[in-house]
Amino acid sequence: MANEQQKGVGSPVTLRERYLIYPGSALPDLATPSAQAFHAEDRRDQAKVVFALVARPGFPVRINALRALKGVECAGLMTLLEWGVVDWPPANRKVMVLVYARPLGGRVTASLTTEFKCVEEVDAVRKIVNPVVAALKALKAASLTHRAIRPTNMFWASAAKDRIVLGDCATVPPAYEQPALIEPIESAMTHASGRGAGTSADDVYAFGASLAILLQGMSPVPSLDDEAVIRQKIVQGSYGVLIGDARMPLPMIEILRGTLCDDAHERWDNEALELWLHGRRLSPLVAKIEKRAARGFAFNNTEYFTSRELAIAMARHWEAAAPFVLDGRVELWLRRSLDNKEKANAVATAVQAAGADADKRGAADILVSKVCMILDGRAPIRYKGLAVMPDGFGSLLALAMVEGRDLRIIAEALMRETTRAWFETRDAYNPDNSVLEAHIRAQKVFLDRGTIGNGVERVLYELNEAMPCISPLTVDSYVLELRDLLPALNASAKKAEGKGWPVDRHVAAFVAARTNFDIERQMSDLALPDPARSVLGMLNLLATIQWRVGQGGLYGLAAWTAALMAPVINGFHGREKRRELEKEAVRIAREGSLVELSRLLDNPEDRHLDQQGFEEARAEWVAAQREILDIEAGRVQKGEAVRTAQQVAALVSVTIAFITVTLLLIAKVL
Amino acid sequence: MAKTPTKGRSAPVAQMQPVKQRTANRLLILLTMIAFIPFSLPTLLVMFCGLLPTLVAALLERGDNRYAWICVGGLNFSGLAPWLFTLWFGHHELSYAIQEITGLTMLLTSFGAAALGWLLYLAMPPVVTTVLSATSQRRAIVLAAQQRKLVEQWGEEVVVRIEDPAREDGS
Repeated sequence: MANEQQKGVGSPVTLRERYLIYPGSALPDLATPSAQAFHAEDRRDQAKVVFALVARPGFPVRINALRALKGVECAGLMTLLEWGVVDWPPANRKVMVLVYARPLGGRVTASLTTEFKCVEEVDAVRKIVNPVVAALKALKAASLTHRAIRPTNMFWASAAKDRIVLGDCATVPPAYEQPALIEPIESAMTHASGRGAGTSADDVYAFGASLAILLQGMSPVPSLDDEAVIRQKIVQGSYGVLIGDARMPLPMIEILRGTLCDDAHERWDNEALELWLHGRRLSPLVAKIEKRAARGFAFNNTEYFTSRELAIAMARHWEAAAPFVLDGRVELWLRRSLDNKEKANAVATAVQAAGADADKRGAADILVSKVCMILDGRAPIRYKGLAVMPDGFGSLLALAMVEGRDLRIIAEALMRETTRAWFETRDAYNPDNSVLEAHIRAQKVFLDRGTIGNGVERVLYELNEAMPCISPLTVDSYVLELRDLLPALNASAKKAEGKGWPVDRHVAAFVAARTNFDIERQMSDLALPDPARSVLGMLNLLATIQWRVGQGGLYGLAAWTAALMAPVINGFHGREKRRELEKEAVRIAREGSLVELSRLLDNPEDRHLDQQGFEEARAEWVAAQREILDIEAGRVQKGEAVRTAQQVAALVSVTIAFITVTLLLIAKVL
Repeated sequence: MAKTPTKGRSAPVAQMQPVKQRTANRLLILLTMIAFIPFSLPTLLVMFCGLLPTLVAALLERGDNRYAWICVGGLNFSGLAPWLFTLWFGHHELSYAIQEITGLTMLLTSFGAAALGWLLYLAMPPVVTTVLSATSQRRAIVLAAQQRKLVEQWGEEVVVRIEDPAREDGS
C-alpha cells in the first residue's frame, strides 16, 4: 500500500510552512517525463497522503492552470493542494513544486507500447468515462484545457482501482509530453513544445484515444513512429488507426467515433459526452477521409494524392517547394486534379502577392508557408522546419531558449508575421483569434528594436506569463514575479563579484514585460550607447522597482550597483564633487537603498551647478591663458609700457613746470 | 517700419552733439584770448615765440595718446617762466617783450628746456618697459598657478587649446 511505506528520508523542504517535501524520497512511479515525484507530508493533517512534483528547472509551468486548479476537488482530477517555489538542495537552486493528493492505486500503465491489463468494457464507463467527463467539465468551467490526457498520465484513485484520475498537466507546456498517437492530427504535426493550450476538443480527442488504448490493453500501432502515425491518421482517419479491426461494443464505437473525429468542429464536446453518459444514443459519426486527387502531384520523387499530404511534404522539403508554387503547378493541380477552386484561387493570390515583394528570398519562404496553410487548413504554422500553433509560440520559444536551440527561425517566423497568414487562412472567424493575433503582432515591435529590454528575450517573457527570469544572475532563484527580482539579484551580488551589470538582457526584458508602471525613460536610457547614461538608466530602473515594490536592505545589490557608478561620477567635472559622491555612494550602499543612490547620482540641480561651475572655470582658464600668451608675446609691454612711460614723462614735465612757477612766484613775492 | 528711420537719425545726432559743443568751447576760448590781446600783447608775443617747440609738438602729434606736447610744454614753459615773470612783475611793455624775443638767452633757455622735454619723452618708455616686464613675468607665474589650481579642481577638461593670434599671423 502506498501510505504504508511512507516516511520521508533526510531533511525535508517546507512549502508554505505546511507541506514537508523529502528530496531523499523519490517516487518514480508518480513522476512524469519532465517532473520528478517525491514523498511529501501535510503537517496539519498527517493522515493525508500527498506527494510533490518538482518541475524541471527552467521549464515554464502553466501558472493559469495552477491558479485555477488549486484546491479543486474533482472525481477525475488529481487534487492540487499547493504549489510554490522552494529551495531545492539536490539542485542547489529554487524550483517549482506542486503538491498533489496521492492517487493510491498507482499508474494505469507506464508505457503504451507494452501490454497491460485492459479495462473491461463493462467497467469502462464507471472507471474511466465518468471521472474523465467530470474532469473535462471542471476544466471547461475553469476555462482550461488539460492537454496531458494519456494512459501513462492516468492513475487509479484508490487501491481498489475503481476510478481513474488524470495526472498533472501544469509542470510542462500544453501537450508537451503527448505522443502523436494520442493527439489530434494537427497537434501531432506540431513541435511538442509549440502545441499551445488548444481547445477542449483536443482534450476530448486525447480522451477518446486514451480510452481506445485502455480498452485494448496497449497501443494498436506499437511499432509505428510519430510520422508514420500521422500519415496513417491522415490516410485512414484516427478511428481507423486507433481501433482498426478491434471488436468494440456498439456504445463504445459511438463514443470512440465521436471523440476521435478528425474534424474538431464535428468532434463530440462535453455536452455530447454527458448525453451519451445519460443514455442518449447519438448517431455514430462517419470518418471523413481526405479528398483524393484524380492525378497525383509529383514532388520530390513522390506522388501525392491529398492536399494535406502534399502540405506535409512541402513543409519537410522546404527549399524544393518554392519553384513548384511559383510556376503555378500547385495551383493547376488544385484546380484540375483536386477540383478545389477555392484553394487554387487562394494559392494564385498568394503567388501574386509574393511577386510584389522586394525581398525575394523572404517572399518565397512566406509563400511556401502560406501555401502549406492553404493546402492543409487545420495544420499548424509551418515555416522552415518549424511547426507551431499560434498560441504555442511562447512555449516553443521558452523551451528553445532553455535548451539552447537556435532561435533565429522562431524569431523570423514572428517577424514575417506567419501568424497573420495563419489567421487569414482560417475557414471561420473566431473573435478569440483577434486578441491572440494582436498580441503576437505586438511582439514584432520588440524584435524590431533589438535593444536591451527588447529583442527575443522580451518576446519570451511577453508570451510566457509563467516564465521565470532565466538570466544567469537569477536563474537559481526562480524569479517568477517582479517582487522576487531584487532579492534574487541581491543574492547573486556576491557571486558576481563586481563582474558585469545586475541588469542583463534577460533581466531587462523580464522587467519590461512584468512591470505595470511606467519605466519607459529608464529603459530607453539603459539602451543608450553612452556608458554613463546607460548605467544611470540601470540604477534608476532598479531604484524604481525598489520604490514600487517597497523592498529595503538590498546591501549586496546596492554595493554592486554603486561600484558600477564610476562613469556617472566621472560625468561630474568637479573633482571635489566626485570625491564627495564616491564617499556618499559607499555610505548609501551600506544602507542598501537603491532609491537613495539614484537620488544622489541623478540630481539635475547638482549636475547643473557642476556644469555651470565648470564653464566658469573654463572661461577663467581661457582668460588666464590669453593673458599669459600676451605676456609671452610682449604685447602688454609694448602697448602698455609706452603709454605708461609717456604718461610718466608728461607728469614729470608738468611737475617741473609747476615747481618752477611756484619757486619763481615765491622769489618774486618775497 | 516707422521706427527704423527715427532710430537711424537719432544715432548721428547724438554723436554730433559733443563735436558741436567742442567747437563752441574752442570758439569761446579763442574769442576770450582775442579779447585779452590789447591788454597782454607783450605776454602773448613772448609766449608765442618761447613756446614754439610746444606748438610744433602739439601740431605734429597724432594718435589717441597725445602726451608729447604736454611733456615738451611743461619743460618749455619752465625754461620760459623766468622771462615771463620778469615781464609780468617788471616791464609789461611791448618794447621790452620785443627786446627779450630778439635776445638769444631767452630763446636758448626755453628751447633748451623744450629739448630736455623731448629727451624725457623719448627716454622714459625703455625705462618703464623694463619695470613692467619684470612685473609681467611675475603675473604670468601667478596666472599659471591659477590655471594649475583650476585643473586640480576641474580636471584636464578645463584646458582649452588657444592659438596665439600673433603666431598665426606670423605663419
